[in-house]
Amino acid sequence: MKRDEFARDATPDSLAEHVARNAPAMQQTGHAHGGDMESVRETTYRGHHIVIRTSYHIEVDGVPVEGHLGVTNDGRVHYHVVPNLSFASAVDLVKQLIDAFPDDFRQEGHAHEEHSHEGRSPGEES
Amino acid sequence: MPTRNTLTKDAPPERSRKVAALRRNILSNSTSRQKYIQGVKLLKQEFLGPTTADFGIAGTVRRISTYDLFVVWHHLAMFTFTPPSQGDRNAAHRGPVFLPWHRFMLILFELQLQRVLNDDNFGLPYWDWAADGERSPDQQMTSPVWGTQCMGGQGNPVTTGPFAFNLADPARWRVRVDADVNGQLRATDRGLRRAFAQRRSDQSSAPVLPRRTEVTSAANLSTYDAWPWSTASSGFRNRLEGWQPVHPYSGLHNRVHVWVGGDMLPSSSPNDPVFYLNHCNVDRIWAAWLASRGTTYVPSQSASSTLRGHRIDDAMNALLSDPVTPRQMLDVDDFYSYDTLA
Repeated sequence: MKRDEFARDATPDSLAEHVARNAPAMQQTGHAHGGDMESVRETTYRGHHIVIRTSYHIEVDGVPVEGHLGVTNDGRVHYHVVPNLSFASAVDLVKQLIDAFPDDFRQEGHAHEEHSHEGRSPGEES
Repeated sequence: MPTRNTLTKDAPPERSRKVAALRRNILSNSTSRQKYIQGVKLLKQEFLGPTTADFGIAGTVRRISTYDLFVVWHHLAMFTFTPPSQGDRNAAHRGPVFLPWHRFMLILFELQLQRVLNDDNFGLPYWDWAADGERSPDQQMTSPVWGTQCMGGQGNPVTTGPFAFNLADPARWRVRVDADVNGQLRATDRGLRRAFAQRRSDQSSAPVLPRRTEVTSAANLSTYDAWPWSTASSGFRNRLEGWQPVHPYSGLHNRVHVWVGGDMLPSSSPNDPVFYLNHCNVDRIWAAWLASRGTTYVPSQSASSTLRGHRIDDAMNALLSDPVTPRQMLDVDDFYSYDTLA
């Protein structure tokens, strides 16, 4: 691949154009989970198709944690918002979340920020 | 979507460029180090039009800087499951595309740096973290990379070095977009966070950086990737990404994210300029593997459609440009080379 060909995409105009073109589709596919979390594990053994569905409902101080949690076929639990970690236990995972997101779990209680799924409201540009 | 080689556009303005950019060790080249710091600060202050509204981020509409567009892209790619019916592989991680997608991201970022620095020969620096991994745990935390003339130290917020926070100075480094605990992008305005070598009771600890023997062990794997093309795979990609082996700590790339901690932990990890130093070193290790093994990549295009986004000629997830394919990322000699692959 040639650098000059690709460099055309590095201009300011091109960058803004690509954001306008690509962002709507990425919003639809790249959205956080919401609600209970179901993990689906599938594999085949001796010709038999195995499906294991695991549901999680996690609360911290009574407030739901709603990101996407998954379980890999070797039984480890992972959470997409902390993408470089996996855990032997969902409890260990939630402890890590409390440490990793100090703005969501303030000190001695849960200061979960209001979490809207209703999209943006009109505002002015800063 | 069209891949890059199908496009026709006006030729870019001519700028002097004689050789591919040279990517250097950030600790051994002060010019590279200073330009990198200067460049990321320029991108952080550049606003080309996109706003939080373009990404459905709740609250008052704010402009998003060029630097922060890469933060948003990394997050969105991570939340794009491939295929959507499963929750392990995503469009940039936990599967074969991990290495070519991040090479794609780094090339685009490097091109932006070259533009704002007006230097078409500027190459991203890398942090050879395995060299620091040979130091004692205490020495790792005081490595020159964390010095005031390089990346600065740890803290909430970071208070030393070029990315130190100062509430009263809007020109200082600020985190403006991050992910909340539920995986929603949100606007914020705060200092950068780092928390080195956090020790925990479970396997999420990263008390020490990876060592050279661990890099060598990965490089000796002859297979790039293998079924089930996920975090359970054997092969070089999964070892370098850091999912195998799981004992005692996470592996190479993953452990560096976790060791640095703070803003390097969430899906918005490009908020920390150290992100690019880590991934440039990961890319360097892949470049060394390709040089010794040949330009091989799997899965092939004839693999199952459930691997769409990871096969050699699939369009990779793109936000800031047209997409490219993993195949197009196998030979990038026209873009850059490394000072050393050792």
